[in-house]
Amino acid sequence: MAVSSLSGLQETTSYKVVLPFYATGALSLVIGTIYLLFHTHIFFEHNFHPHTLALTHIMALGWGTMLIFGASYQLLPVLIEGKLSSDFLGYLTYIFTLLGVPVLVYGFYTFKTGLPLQIGAVLVNIGVLCYLFNVFESAVESERRDVHAWYIVTAALWLFTTTFFGLLLVFNFTKSILPDNSVSYLALHAHLGLIGWFLMLVIGVGSRLIPMFLISKYKNNTILWIIYALVNMSLISFILIKTLHLPANFDYLSIALALSGIVLFAYHCWAAYKVRIRKAVDEQMKISLTAVGQMLLPIVTLLVILAILPVGKDNHIVILYGFCIFFGWITALIFGMTFKTLPFIVFKKVYNRKKHKGRPPIPKDLFNDKVFNSMAISYLSGFVITVIGIILLNEIILKIGVFALMLSAILYALNIGIIFTHKPKEA
Amino acid sequence: MNEVTNNEKLLLKALAGLYYVDDPEVGLNIVDLGLIYEINFDEDKKLMKVIMTLTTQFCPMGDEITQNTMGSLTEDFPEWDIDLEMTFDPPWDQSKISPEGIEFLTQ
Repeated sequence: MAVSSLSGLQETTSYKVVLPFYATGALSLVIGTIYLLFHTHIFFEHNFHPHTLALTHIMALGWGTMLIFGASYQLLPVLIEGKLSSDFLGYLTYIFTLLGVPVLVYGFYTFKTGLPLQIGAVLVNIGVLCYLFNVFESAVESERRDVHAWYIVTAALWLFTTTFFGLLLVFNFTKSILPDNSVSYLALHAHLGLIGWFLMLVIGVGSRLIPMFLISKYKNNTILWIIYALVNMSLISFILIKTLHLPANFDYLSIALALSGIVLFAYHCWAAYKVRIRKAVDEQMKISLTAVGQMLLPIVTLLVILAILPVGKDNHIVILYGFCIFFGWITALIFGMTFKTLPFIVFKKVYNRKKHKGRPPIPKDLFNDKVFNSMAISYLSGFVITVIGIILLNEIILKIGVFALMLSAILYALNIGIIFTHKPKEA
Repeated sequence: MNEVTNNEKLLLKALAGLYYVDDPEVGLNIVDLGLIYEINFDEDKKLMKVIMTLTTQFCPMGDEITQNTMGSLTEDFPEWDIDLEMTFDPPWDQSKISPEGIEFLTQ
């Protein structure tokens, strides 16, 4: 009898670790957009309003971070060219974050500065520590550690710095443990997360995946190292500016460094796009590339803030800045990349070692194209309308824009559901 | 393909089947994509040794691609022992795509 043997195939992350993050992330986005629809008054309030803080943490932790945890656990082996160190730590990351985020959000919403906020913050920090330890161990165990591995490990370190600082701010509400009140540290806490975690991770992952999916001949690690240095220097300089209470003009230094990093990343993506072998670019890649362009919007908003804020009462521009980040490039990139990566892991779960009927399926068949396209249209129109609504501070325009965003969130969750419940046509 | 060795006829038979095995993400068959590095035949022992790669070391579709590769070979060579070895040295890059593969992708 003939014998078959196979050697050298590397094991990827189990779907059991990854899928819960995607499901919870999608649910958080739906909750976040419904919440926003019923709380559009936050666009007219100060960014420290309890309802704004609640939404920010739904979007930052429940949506962005939860989804990125799942995606990075799935993609970590590709990025660091090594196995995920521990599935168990992956489960713990999920459980603690899942328990922590709702408690934290409840604490912010009701502004109960005591136990709810403290318990939520502690739980989230335990979840983040599990993630950090898992990523760090995986990178250490990997034989090859290139620039992408450095991005993902550094991003995880900044994430822990952000959540640990957040924990201190929460305790600072009830007992003075920091020199100033918590509100004065808000910008620092936010940018640790936005630049250190989200931007660093998105550039690290995007710079690997975008050329890979385009089958591009472009490879330039030098530019990636320069971007890595620029983004880190931007954040470190911002920390120094805020902690040493340097004049506001120094903020431009941090902005210039971050802007240079983003522009170089956009150039990296453009260069990869130009010399791609695969000419046909699918809708998922288009929305991902749009997200790269959207990264410049918050910087423009920030420059407007710095020019206007000292003289006016234009707090809604600060809200616009945050909106352009969470509902802008972070959401757009997740929308695009979810449907380039999630179908593979579900495909493997459904079809691995199973015979199927008819034409061999492909991962792209697992989601509904029409639902995806409707989601993309709804999202882009919702984003633009809401931005106009924020600038004009018009309640009706805001409601229309946020309604379209909510629709896109529901369609996103629907397509995730379609992928999760995919059944094979067995032979 | 980097090297063509041994029996030409057997090789053509193996490749004919492998042209129907696609990389599910790229949509191109694994031969034109340049994933097959070597196929060697030992006719006395009825042993086929295949050395192949993936576009990335921890490719999420690695299982599916190797399973389909093995399925194609065992179907075409039911009497043969098949030894499929995955290698990442040298790693795959775009230069390994055949001219036909480039033409397919640039359409």
